[in-house]
Amino acid sequence: MKYAYYPGCVAKSTATELYNSTALVAQRLGIGLVELTAASCCGAGVINEGDSFLNIVLNARTFAMAESMGLDILTICSTCQGVMSQVKWQLDNDLKLLEKTNEALSKVNVNYQGKVKIKHLLWALAEDYGLEKLAQQAVQPLEGMKVAPFYGCYILRPAEALQHESHEKPTSFEQLITALGGEPVEYDGKTKCCGFPILFVQRDAAFGMAAAYLNNAKKAQADFLVTPCPLCHISLDLYQKKAQSQAGLEINLPVMHLSQMVGLALGATPTELGFSKHMVSMVNVLKHV
Amino acid sequence: MKTEEAVFRILRISPEKDEKGRYETYRVRIDSRMTVLDALEDIKHEQDASLTFRRSCRSGICGSCALKVNHLAKLACKTRAVTEVEKCGEVLVEPMENMPPIRDLVVDMSGFWREIDRGAPWVEWDKTLEGSIKENLLTNEQQLISSRLADCIMCGCCFSDCISRVFDKNFTGPASLAKTHRLVVDPRDKLGMNRVKELASMGLWSCTHCYFCWSQCPRNVRPIVAISTLRTLSFGAGHKSQGARHVEVFMNSVERTGMLNEAALYLKTMGWATLRDLDLILRMAAKHKAPPLFPQPVPKIEEIRSVYRLVREVKPK
Repeated sequence: MKYAYYPGCVAKSTATELYNSTALVAQRLGIGLVELTAASCCGAGVINEGDSFLNIVLNARTFAMAESMGLDILTICSTCQGVMSQVKWQLDNDLKLLEKTNEALSKVNVNYQGKVKIKHLLWALAEDYGLEKLAQQAVQPLEGMKVAPFYGCYILRPAEALQHESHEKPTSFEQLITALGGEPVEYDGKTKCCGFPILFVQRDAAFGMAAAYLNNAKKAQADFLVTPCPLCHISLDLYQKKAQSQAGLEINLPVMHLSQMVGLALGATPTELGFSKHMVSMVNVLKHV
Repeated sequence: MKTEEAVFRILRISPEKDEKGRYETYRVRIDSRMTVLDALEDIKHEQDASLTFRRSCRSGICGSCALKVNHLAKLACKTRAVTEVEKCGEVLVEPMENMPPIRDLVVDMSGFWREIDRGAPWVEWDKTLEGSIKENLLTNEQQLISSRLADCIMCGCCFSDCISRVFDKNFTGPASLAKTHRLVVDPRDKLGMNRVKELASMGLWSCTHCYFCWSQCPRNVRPIVAISTLRTLSFGAGHKSQGARHVEVFMNSVERTGMLNEAALYLKTMGWATLRDLDLILRMAAKHKAPPLFPQPVPKIEEIRSVYRLVREVKPK
């Protein structure tokens, strides 16, 4: 198993614990990651609103890099996954747009044929590595732990572009948690928005979203929440204290990155997984280990 | 045809008795063709005549029967019961959100209509065109946009499941913005970009990209695409707003280093409001979590900058 690895911007700046724990998980599972170091930011849906064609060309350039290596792209950020899947979907369904995109890319000697596949780590572990095999590697299973999967938006919708699973009743996250020995909990909000995209614009509303869904997970008895997106992690962990304070709630729910949860089950130490970088303490979770 | 018994759990609300409502369970024999609306009719005629819901055309055209099925807003007449049972084991039926319930599955949609009205959903006729025999021709692109947006049947599904609307009552909602976009591309309308200018005060930048308006629209209108396009128009026209500032800083950051400079994005977008998070910034610094202020450009950054320049030249019309 080898991928053209696209970690995205946040994993390399604010959420280095995500970047490092992904490297650790890949190394332990024997997954090859060839990082696309010269790739640009995916635009996070923001460049699309400044200039939609620029958004397409920048992402097509990234696709072409992976394509020339003969590898599928692996993402560890739902926002990157969602934005890139949407661009790929547009290019797959509009030959004129693909031509126009390649016309722009030809000036920098790049060509995208339209063959790339883009997979989030969540999907790659289940479909390429295999959950049974992963379960066998779980030397420190998440036994007795109640885990709240937070899918968020970009990894599920629009389903036409993601082409993976139904957004109405997704199961991939629950299957992964179960394979690692944990118990997924059901709560209202797991497929809703963490609030991050409007954190800089409508802060109160963003905090409202984060607090509501964190609180629902807490009420469902979750020991921790896990997210496949570092932007959700910013909203749900970094800003949790401010969000709960605005909502007048005491939540204090630990939030893990997906790769940290896998790493924990694989026997990695809290230091290796970078838990000390979180704002909400992991102490209560680690008591179970 | 093979039939099976399915459980319908329906939220019953009698405002005069119990504001919160109660769930009642009904068992209905369904076959593979039966819709949720068929089952509701069945329950009403065979089991409980007091069950209240809206319906009219039964063909996905009028938009009357919008309600929540297994937590998502849908047209009851377009939703097959068996699919819901296969997915969730039962059919949970509740009234739409973001609109107060009147009785059972019927909601008060006046808030939805007020938001539609906020966008002045009519063509403001350009009087200078009066008496002209010239046709107001649409370009092919305008026609494609208009046609998709005109498919909206005002059912309220997007408004119901809009997360931003739950937390920001000033956000006018997806249907209103989709309608506005339709008028912005209408060559007969004299307001044009003035409509876009008004949108910042109606929450244009409050949409959080949850994509529920795309997924729940029974007519495939994709309001979020309209919202993104309106934002592009607003940004391109230089309308001042926090959202436009965010886009500008983001784009400049990627042009400069290839990646997002998180620190710069935060500081430049938030300005003095950054001080509200001083405590958080200090905690981040203490945890070595603060993003670098001056990140290095990625390899081949010149290629990315060239892409920026080239796109400005070859952008499709």
